[in-house]
Amino acid sequence: MEIREERHDEVLVIAPVGRVDSNTSGELERRLLRHVAEGAVRLVIDLLGVEYISSAGLRVLLLTANKLRPLGGQVVLCSMGRTVREVFDLAGLTALFPIEASQDEALVRIVAEGQG
Amino acid sequence: MDGPAALQDRSLRKLNSLLEVSKAMAAAIDLDSLLGVILDRATAVMEAERASLFIYDEETGTLWNRISGSLGRGELRLPLGTGIAGRVAQTGVLLNIPDAYADPRFTPEVDRQTGFRTRSILCAPLVGHAGRLTGVIQLLNKSGGGVFTREDEEMLEAFASHAAVALDRARLVEAFVEKERIEEALRLAHDIQMGMLPRPLAGEGRVELAAALEPARSVGGDLYDFLVEGDRLWFMVGDVSGKGVASALFMAVAKTLFRASIQTETPLATVLARVNRELCRDNERAMFVTAFAGCLDLASGEAVVSNAGHNPPYRLGPEGSVAPAPEAPGIPLGVIADYVHAEARLRLGRGEALFLYTDGVTEATNAQGEAFGAGRLEAFLAKAAAPRPEDLVRGSLAAVRDFEGGTPPSDDLTVMAIRYLGG
Repeated sequence: MEIREERHDEVLVIAPVGRVDSNTSGELERRLLRHVAEGAVRLVIDLLGVEYISSAGLRVLLLTANKLRPLGGQVVLCSMGRTVREVFDLAGLTALFPIEASQDEALVRIVAEGQG
Repeated sequence: MDGPAALQDRSLRKLNSLLEVSKAMAAAIDLDSLLGVILDRATAVMEAERASLFIYDEETGTLWNRISGSLGRGELRLPLGTGIAGRVAQTGVLLNIPDAYADPRFTPEVDRQTGFRTRSILCAPLVGHAGRLTGVIQLLNKSGGGVFTREDEEMLEAFASHAAVALDRARLVEAFVEKERIEEALRLAHDIQMGMLPRPLAGEGRVELAAALEPARSVGGDLYDFLVEGDRLWFMVGDVSGKGVASALFMAVAKTLFRASIQTETPLATVLARVNRELCRDNERAMFVTAFAGCLDLASGEAVVSNAGHNPPYRLGPEGSVAPAPEAPGIPLGVIADYVHAEARLRLGRGEALFLYTDGVTEATNAQGEAFGAGRLEAFLAKAAAPRPEDLVRGSLAAVRDFEGGTPPSDDLTVMAIRYLGG
């Protein structure tokens, strides 16, 4: 797994690439929590390059959302492939995250909700 | 001037001393005693007043005094590059200093602390496996006020290579012992975890149940439980996010909560609500459990089931049909404290069975990276044509392992089969 990062004004876009499983999710967790600790409150997690996500990876996304909630922050997920979508659906977690089809839509949403 | 006889005598003595060191190494005595022998022989053969050995600590970049004639162990720490020993460690090149106080690299600090007066120094690096610096060996004050010779340099290098091998070996042994200790602890944890699973169901004529759990590592995050209470069979198969020790601990909590809740709470939704609430409490790491749980009325064959983000089980007809069992999909346990899991109802006829499993089955992969998948599982179940739960459990495990073809499993694997025989 590789992690790409991009900043769009106040929003940080994190894009893990490859497999997010119990071997790699620790690295993603450290990276996301470091950004939260450093003050990032609006995160878009772009899953376009994720070929597989395990429950260990889902846990990291939940954890990040849990950490941001009391800070008034938010995580928006986007660009889920079919395999990733199936894992979310199976675990019943699809309803727990704001999910957008593309990064652009995710950015629009997170900015709009941040103002609202 | 030494005569030929004296020269020969000295060479013999040197050879003997190296031989003694080799013998001491072969005798596998502990590291400190071995280094003691090396220093002792080096002092005698090269006629020094004192010898000491410093170990290089990679983490701090310092040398520390492991053993020496008069200084206590660990008393002295030298940064790399400081003093003669520090310089030798840094450059990896032997230094022969005839007059320490005339050499700007010498630091008289230690002399001031110990009251010892250093005159001449011979210091060699200990270079271990793959050229890694492991320490330095140092001789002080050639006896009789002389200086260390070219021959002493060669001799010390021979001693240094012995000491380096001894240190490398000791490090390997320490790493091995530590690894053994961890493995032993994990073996114990594995036994405790397996001991938490219920014993096979016996003496119950209305239902047959078999289950198996195989962790990918020593301990895992899969779990199952079942309990017959009067006319009811409670059952559950679950999977904690991630794997390894953290998941195993969470698994133990989830398993204990389920068992405690089914003994005090009914119906199923209330049981899951309690387990979920407790798992959400102080769940700083956002761990969660996917689970499929149910309660089967043994008199009527009616079952109430609930799915907390888990793989839906299969319903196997007595004539060999395979169909997804009805389910009420919900989110995993431990995510939202006040979540209410819905219940679904089904009725098992005589000879009908439920097959529950974790994703360790469907996501098992072979050497080509293909997954076992739901398709192969369904094909197995169809071919099995509703035999005994025992055979379903054993057969499905064998089918998965056969498919993997020796590829080490990456996830814990659990299967459970329940066949209703009639009330």
